[in-house]
Amino acid sequence: MLRYIALRLLLMIPTLLVISLIVFTIIQLPPGDYLESYIAELQSQGESVDPEKIAFLREHYGLDKPFHVQYGHWLLGLLQGDFGYSFEFDMPVTQVVGDRLVLTVLVSFVTIIFTWIIAFPIGIYSATHQYSWGDYGLTFLGFIGLATPNFLLALVMLYLANVFFGTSIGGLMDPGYIDQPWSWGKVVSVLEHLWIPVVVIGTSGTAGMIRRLRANLLDELQKQYVVTGRAKGLPPFKLLTKYPLRMALNFFIADIGAILPSVISGAEVVAVVLSLPTTGPMMLNALQSQDMYLAGSFLMFLASLTVFGVLLSDLALAALDPRIRLQGGVRR
Amino acid sequence: MTAFLRSAFLSFGLAWVTSSTPLAATLHPLEVPVLAAAVQAGSLAPVEERVPQRPFIVRYGGTEKTAGRHGGELRTLMGKARDIRMLVVYGYARLVGYDEHLAFVPDIVERYEVEDNRVFTFHLRPGHKWSDGYPFTSQDFRYYWEDVANDKDLSPLGPPTVLLVDGQPPEVEIIDETTIRYRWNHPNPNFLPALAGARPLFIYRPAHYLKQFHARYESEGELEEKVAKFATRNWAGLHHRMDEMYRFDNPDLPTLQPWMNTTRPPSERFVFARNPYYHRIDEQGRQLPYIDRVIVNIASSSLVPAKTGAGESDLQGRYLRLDNYTFLKAGEQRHNYAVRLWRTAKGSQIALYPNLNTSDHVWRELLHKSAFRRALSLAVHRHEINQVIYFGLVFESANTVLPQSPLFRPEYQRAWADFDLEKANALLDEIGLTERDSRGIRLLPDGRPAEIIIQSAGESTEESDVLELIHDSWLQVGIKLYTRPSQREVFRNRTFAGDTVMAVWSGLGNAIPTPSMSPEELAPTSQQQLQWPKWGQYYETRQRAGQLPVLDSVRELAEHNAQWRYATTAEAQKRIWHAMLKIHSEEVFTIGTVAGVPQPVVISNRLRNLPPEGTYHWDPGAYFGIYRPDTFWFEK
Repeated sequence: MLRYIALRLLLMIPTLLVISLIVFTIIQLPPGDYLESYIAELQSQGESVDPEKIAFLREHYGLDKPFHVQYGHWLLGLLQGDFGYSFEFDMPVTQVVGDRLVLTVLVSFVTIIFTWIIAFPIGIYSATHQYSWGDYGLTFLGFIGLATPNFLLALVMLYLANVFFGTSIGGLMDPGYIDQPWSWGKVVSVLEHLWIPVVVIGTSGTAGMIRRLRANLLDELQKQYVVTGRAKGLPPFKLLTKYPLRMALNFFIADIGAILPSVISGAEVVAVVLSLPTTGPMMLNALQSQDMYLAGSFLMFLASLTVFGVLLSDLALAALDPRIRLQGGVRR
Repeated sequence: MTAFLRSAFLSFGLAWVTSSTPLAATLHPLEVPVLAAAVQAGSLAPVEERVPQRPFIVRYGGTEKTAGRHGGELRTLMGKARDIRMLVVYGYARLVGYDEHLAFVPDIVERYEVEDNRVFTFHLRPGHKWSDGYPFTSQDFRYYWEDVANDKDLSPLGPPTVLLVDGQPPEVEIIDETTIRYRWNHPNPNFLPALAGARPLFIYRPAHYLKQFHARYESEGELEEKVAKFATRNWAGLHHRMDEMYRFDNPDLPTLQPWMNTTRPPSERFVFARNPYYHRIDEQGRQLPYIDRVIVNIASSSLVPAKTGAGESDLQGRYLRLDNYTFLKAGEQRHNYAVRLWRTAKGSQIALYPNLNTSDHVWRELLHKSAFRRALSLAVHRHEINQVIYFGLVFESANTVLPQSPLFRPEYQRAWADFDLEKANALLDEIGLTERDSRGIRLLPDGRPAEIIIQSAGESTEESDVLELIHDSWLQVGIKLYTRPSQREVFRNRTFAGDTVMAVWSGLGNAIPTPSMSPEELAPTSQQQLQWPKWGQYYETRQRAGQLPVLDSVRELAEHNAQWRYATTAEAQKRIWHAMLKIHSEEVFTIGTVAGVPQPVVISNRLRNLPPEGTYHWDPGAYFGIYRPDTFWFEK
């Protein structure tokens, strides 16, 4: 097992190196650089640009250097834990991301919990009552949630919340509480705003989860050990939760690899529409304005989390599911 | 005597009348209520000591404005944290600024004198202080000139171009604590407009604050420590980071603006508090600004109209578009605000630029014929564009100055801008484009059909809608139009290289000029000019690159532009402007469509001293700046 973990960890190094190269290349692919898009933004608002200042900045930021020099500079920094400098904010990347990370994790966590709370009972019910009216009805609801465009739902709910509850539009709290110390009022304000993104992001995730849980559970429910258990007189609920449900949760553990980065990045599109102070809009902006070190470092962070998350879920699966054995892969 | 001299003396005269008598004898400054506690506690000097000995006294006589009351918070919305620079724009405290009629008036300086547009002398207000209470003196100008603009590390490219005349910097004299003189050998008519601009040229810096980041004044060891702390590359980077008079993102940097930033980015909410040392008071002795705090909330720009419509902004123009008008109007009653339509001031919302330097020689010859350009302009149905896309609210106009400008003449607006297919067809027949193909498209001399590919940056649906309408009316004179969108940088490079026949962009950047503003937009002066990039480059690089214009009229424009720089009277400047405008409209170097597109401006009903109708323009205008937001006030 230790050997396996060490091997996997070693494999992560070339993987991440390749990812870093791809990330950096893709960010640099569009014509122009950060200063070009900065000029474009100023001009679109009718502002003038001082060409000398631009020339100075280009030299100061090192944007006039060839690609491999910029890449090398960035990579060396990353290895030393320096995520680089954000042109847009004119400060180190870590400072830009810092505050947003907490709120992002909060939104993502609540959303995931919300998804589970909705999806689990429905999934179990659908599987145990296959092809019943309840199964169809709830599945239908789940699919509506999946099919409604997130941004549309978000806008509609924003508008309704504003008209009926007087909630301020967008953001995660009333503007008055931003940058204030935490207080009861602030918590209430956050809760008032939090439910919209949670419901919007959550509804799109539930359908997928319901279907996967239902399918996995149906597979298990047909198996003989369930029949045996029932014949031996185990109470139905205990039988369900103790054996087939546990077996059906493999997909859930395998998901951890994907959940980890999404907790950090948040749902970008919804966050942009709702103007949430999370990392999603920040990253989208950075990509648009070619603020390459901010975008690059953040993407690298997500990539490392994914790689690491996959390793974690593999290990967890091996530990939790006795059917999974390491030898198979080694022998081949 | 120059125009500047006269206007300077005029305003100087006024300022003198109001401020020659000692302040205490005429006006007793009233303490600002929110600052009273601090003054009581002794942590802040009383208002008499905070304002300059002779403050700027704002008089409302003869205007729509009224004296107001202190207090209140103004909320506004911005799309990005970086937009807080707009508070420098809106704040509009300038050494010399524009008044509402676009005349220069002394503002931060008490008075100034100009000789032949060459020698500029500024007199500061004795006792004027930075927002941290430190005196604002001529040393701050010296610091900028010697230690910033002429420092090899801080400004490797030397002082800004606007401070150079024929490549020569001015001679800067620090005469005494409140007097500074800039002297050039030749006129520099762009100097005052740069100082009064929306993004002003800051020729002064808070030296007492910035010296701690300057290698000349700070020991190496301490400087290195600070460089490490802020993670900049070197001390020059650190100095730049701290010295952001325009970005306004360093709360420690003292300012002269009416409100000062108190929030350190990154944040989603920026609080601007009143500058207790601001130099303007009203005629009743109240120190401006009236409004205590300006709150800037950051929301994604696409949500700004929605949030404004929900009453979350007291004053909003940025990120609102004409198509938000009905939505905003619907919220008026519920949220107690009014939606006003102000005028934008571009020469044309969307203009076509025939590329006179295109490398396709058949097209180039054709585009060089004024009859061809005139015919194309005549075949644009401006009335239809106005009705279909802009609800009939805009001016149908050639790409020229707007009626708000003192240089406006109806004939410029109307020149070759009436929809006249017959005349257009006749013009095209005259220049020999008589052959047509089976579709009715005229044939070029070499037999190709006259299909114009318009290069576009492809950034707005508005633009493609307008082009669609032009396509239909051009078809009636036998010209086919195709649009080709490309990424902005590619778009520009293709035009510079002559790969495009025609480009689409907005019209004149400043269509409300006065004679004292530079007419350079009308003449070949820059490569960025899409109608003649190579000719513009020729003059921009002083003949090192580009091409000498082959059209007499274009060379004439260039000569006029050169003469304008040396003109010393307003009369001469005006004559040159009109000569250039006449050539420009007769020759139709650019084809305008419509101008004066309304900008929705949402104003809280409690907010006073804003005009119901105004001009919403970057420079000159600084959006709200020219209406002096420090005089805005909230009713109870």
